[in-house]
Amino acid sequence: MFEMTRSEDGTIRLKGRFDAAQVEAHRADFEGIATSCVLDFAELDYISSAGLGLLFATHKRLVDAGGGLKLVNLKPYIRELFDIAGFDRVFAID
Amino acid sequence: MPSERSFPKAIASLDEVFSHLESFYSAESIDPRTAMAMSLVVEEIFTNLVKYNTASKNPIVLRIGRDGDHVHLELVDRDVDRFDPSTLPEVNIDAPVAQRRPGGLGLHLVRAIVDHISFEYEDRVMRVAVIKNLERGDV
Repeated sequence: MFEMTRSEDGTIRLKGRFDAAQVEAHRADFEGIATSCVLDFAELDYISSAGLGLLFATHKRLVDAGGGLKLVNLKPYIRELFDIAGFDRVFAID
Repeated sequence: MPSERSFPKAIASLDEVFSHLESFYSAESIDPRTAMAMSLVVEEIFTNLVKYNTASKNPIVLRIGRDGDHVHLELVDRDVDRFDPSTLPEVNIDAPVAQRRPGGLGLHLVRAIVDHISFEYEDRVMRVAVIKNLERGDV
């Protein structure tokens, strides 16, 4: 199961498993992100290349518009995947 | 003795695949970090077989077993055309954002995580086998 919720301050919190099936179920939610925002990974337990790809496409669209995504609270093994993918040099990660 | 189970050839099977893997991790006391990495490996290979081996709707067979400090995984896809993922171009992780293209990332992650991967195709059967060393400190 995967959930994304937006806080009052605009932060989007990701929770659960972001696998290929969940990417298809939530693609429209990410396409609806229109402005720069923070994605909080604190409760995200799993992500695959499908999830990474959707995050990248969202970030790239926002970068082209002069903004971008900022990622916070990544679990160590998820951060390691970002490093392997070269996404540590693509996203702003705190 | 490796366990063997078949799953419908569809992305929607992933929940069932993960559930099966969780039982294996629990039985073999696999740590959460390695479990996450193994699940990612299976998802990437499984979804590639679903997306690229479209010639048949046969179920995909997943075999998983442990031999000491190593986990052996095999995914088998029957009655399919030849598709060799190892011939796909490497993803360029150093490319700037504007020049990065989708595709190839899954196999890149799999190669970084596992200690051995092989692709075999014979008699219209595709077999992808991987070995993961449980003693590795990274993913």
